[in-house]
Amino acid sequence: MTRTNEPDQTALTGEAAAQTGERPRRRTVDVWLTGTEEPDYTDEASQEFQPDDTERELAEQLGSVVDDDYFIEEQPQGDDERMIVNMGPQHPSTHGVLRLQIELEGEIIRRTKPIIGYLHTGMEKTAEDLMFMQGGTNVTRMDYLAPFHNELCYSLAVERLLGTDIPPRAQAIRILMTELNRISSHLVALATNAMDVGAISMMLYGFRDREQILDFFEKATGLRMNHNYIRPGGVAADLPPGWRADVTEILDTLPRRLDQYDAILEKNPIWVERTQNVGVVTTEEALAYGLTGPTLRATGLEWDLRKSNPYSGIEQYEFDVITGENGDVYDRYRIRVDEIYQSMNIVKQVTDTMPKGDYMTGDRKVAPPPRGRINESMEALIHHFKLFTEGFRVPEGETYAAVESPRGELGCYLVSTGGGKPWRMHTRAPSFYNIQGLPIMMADSLVADTVATIASLDPIMGDVDR
Amino acid sequence: MTLPGYGLLKGMGVTLRQMFRKPITVQYPKVRETPVPRARGVIALDQEACTVCMLCARQCPDWCIYIEGHKEEQEPSKPGGRVRVRAELDRFDIDYALCMYCGICVEVCPFDALFWSPEYEYTEHNMDGMLHDMDRLQDWLATVPEPPGLQQ
Ligand code: SF4
Ligand code: SF4
Repeated sequence: MTRTNEPDQTALTGEAAAQTGERPRRRTVDVWLTGTEEPDYTDEASQEFQPDDTERELAEQLGSVVDDDYFIEEQPQGDDERMIVNMGPQHPSTHGVLRLQIELEGEIIRRTKPIIGYLHTGMEKTAEDLMFMQGGTNVTRMDYLAPFHNELCYSLAVERLLGTDIPPRAQAIRILMTELNRISSHLVALATNAMDVGAISMMLYGFRDREQILDFFEKATGLRMNHNYIRPGGVAADLPPGWRADVTEILDTLPRRLDQYDAILEKNPIWVERTQNVGVVTTEEALAYGLTGPTLRATGLEWDLRKSNPYSGIEQYEFDVITGENGDVYDRYRIRVDEIYQSMNIVKQVTDTMPKGDYMTGDRKVAPPPRGRINESMEALIHHFKLFTEGFRVPEGETYAAVESPRGELGCYLVSTGGGKPWRMHTRAPSFYNIQGLPIMMADSLVADTVATIASLDPIMGDVDR
Repeated sequence: MTLPGYGLLKGMGVTLRQMFRKPITVQYPKVRETPVPRARGVIALDQEACTVCMLCARQCPDWCIYIEGHKEEQEPSKPGGRVRVRAELDRFDIDYALCMYCGICVEVCPFDALFWSPEYEYTEHNMDGMLHDMDRLQDWLATVPEPPGLQQ
């Protein structure tokens, strides 16, 4: 069908319609800017920029364009009938607004294409507009199930450029918070993964136990999520009075709860059938696609940034890196459960050895003067104003800091040109990379396994799209 | 080798036992949880303490604080003394529809004019109502706990 720019002669204007008594008809609008013909690429999925034919081959080799052969060119014949099904972006089991284009041959998935961008809010760009001190409010909203890891990662990058030393207490608080956060995030991962496979009670239990940890976060920071607590230079406030008792209580109740989870899932034939040998990925594939976190460790590779690239003094604490064997959904589930135990182990050690001292660096170029001093001295007040209106200056340079978030390697690449705001901030979001593994995990598997596979990656769309 | 279906029954046993426990859900309008002392519920303003320095408005990452003010001359405290100038607030609005409760404004205020109050019941049917003017913000001051939670 061709569309033209010619006004539709048959359409009546409002005036004419009033005279003849007919209802006015809307004028047809030319939706294709090209004027006469539909453009070649009309399907939504071909999001890639399409270069012209001469450059195309080169672009394909460079990987900047993926050949979109989702069009079924010939008419399907006989048994070779394939069907393309869209799952999402508003499907409850895609953990947000992930859209999957799935090519089916009967019950079997032949190809999958994850389509992202539905939650894109330009957070990396926003970071360029926020001073280093404000940056935490932005990054904490990326991976909203692991806000402390985001804050820590950003702060580490800023501190690396600044060259500031962080007091031991601040470091210990950071580890305490991030490890508790890992537990809470893994609890949600277990809960949602089980729910997608049909175990509703597991979902309720997981969220119930996470609530206990969130209550502690609220006590310490004032908010349940998106805390803006870990800042460049330290943490925003000291731990609240009575924190030790709260943490101990969490550590005491969790093992009992984890036993419940094991009772529900570990030997449950439905769960085992639906997760073992589902969504398998090998170590080579995982490395090639940049998958990290439990997904990579489930393949048997012992790779954990807490061991290989320790941050914030985590090397002082003893813990094991948990690995799996088969790289399937079940292994990822097991790894999450066992990592909760390891994180509890770390939290216990931190609680026992929490050093005394400051929770914010004493470097007056980074941290504002203490409250009491402002009332006494004019200099302190002026310094306070200067620090907050201009922000602290971060020396020119670029850096990359990474932490092991519950989902994998969370990195922050930061470029500063010597001002009070980052020139560029980029986040290496683990969910974004993990989602790339979906096509290989789901190839030639059953439709019913889709939700189990997606949930086992524990993708957070806020993290994917940023 | 265990009996077939044993794992399933074990899991159901957990669910069964759970049925006889007290639910942990708090039935909100009837039962209320006490907010923690550091809770960031709503921001209270002390108009007397505010010097209209605009630091909070400048620092807010969302730009959701609107301040206007003017200078006022004050009578000298004793005859023949110096005339003092004091800044007076004309407008101090916080748009809670935009605010993300980051706490930066409370932290940066050098004159202790902003505080966190744990009150949280101020939802509105209409978004305009989320813009609290300075009198409403002043009213929240009565609900601020002692000592102020997150403040250093
Ligand atoms: S809490 Fe944050 S977002 Fe809200 S008004 Fe204060 S600075 Fe702005
Ligand atoms: S920072 Fe404090 S004193 Fe300054 S305008 Fe804001 S509330 Fe008033």
